[in-house]
Amino acid sequence: MGREVSESCIDSLLTEMVASYCNQFYSNTPELAARRIEAIGYQVGHQLSERYTMDRPRFTDHLEAIKFICKDFWSELFKKQIDNLKTNHRGTFVLQDNKFRWLSRISGDPSVDNGTQDPESKAAQAMSMYLYFPCGIIRGALSNLGIPCAVSADISSLPACEYNWILSPCCFSIKYAF
Amino acid sequence: MIVCVAVVGHQNNPLYIQSFTEADDALKLHHIVHCSLDVVDERVNNPKKSGLTLNETFLGLLYPTENYKVYGYLTNTKVKFILVTTDLDVRDADVRNFFRRFHAAYVDAVSNPFHVPGKRITSKTFAERVSNIVKSFGLSSAG
Repeated sequence: MGREVSESCIDSLLTEMVASYCNQFYSNTPELAARRIEAIGYQVGHQLSERYTMDRPRFTDHLEAIKFICKDFWSELFKKQIDNLKTNHRGTFVLQDNKFRWLSRISGDPSVDNGTQDPESKAAQAMSMYLYFPCGIIRGALSNLGIPCAVSADISSLPACEYNWILSPCCFSIKYAF
Repeated sequence: MIVCVAVVGHQNNPLYIQSFTEADDALKLHHIVHCSLDVVDERVNNPKKSGLTLNETFLGLLYPTENYKVYGYLTNTKVKFILVTTDLDVRDADVRNFFRRFHAAYVDAVSNPFHVPGKRITSKTFAERVSNIVKSFGLSSAG
């Protein structure tokens, strides 16, 4: 019953969303832009978690819900599972995706405008805006499953640029009150 | 015959209540739905050793009153569906089927970007789908 959309449409939509919020709506306050994007992700994650938990038995504890996010939810969204899940057993989970699909087409431009910032941190800064939406999706999905939490993401410290393409491993860390 | 279906959110707030008979008092049906919420909470917190496993979504017959039977269903996102029926012999499979279709309609209604989570469901499409499911419930159990 669902209709399909091409993946390039999704990529364009996400790129345009980040561009509009950063350059048009909240051009002077990137923190507000980030929060708006994260809020959009929250609503999307909320609704997606309803849909993807439809035919499953209920979860018995938090770990089951996190494993659902890592396996089924991630496969529905990104056609792969989370590569590595770590926890400190005190309310923090770290999900590592070695090739995050939505960042896989972003290229690193080696030309530097003014030379004050090195290209790696500029690239990291630009990429981080694209990570607020998936953080919001995870936060929305988990809070709909009954786990209020805070989600942050960062590009992990692996080799940044190779042949102008940024390898896109990222870590999402989920913190919730135990 | 189904007299009432209800969707109740995870804070026990009503999201959708629809009664399908004019004869019965709507207030009485609302009261029955409200009482059944306690039974749902009890079933979830104290699972019986026999029969129901902890993580099944379909909760089965919640409690029979003098004229009605009340069935419950709890989703992963702690949303409860309540079904009130006057049928005397209702097959388990029919009710499960009903709840499956009802869940699908609910998911579609909630995926509406204009729907605010936690507020009542106001979509006419959802209401139509629910009344179709209710009508076909009667047919399938008769056949």
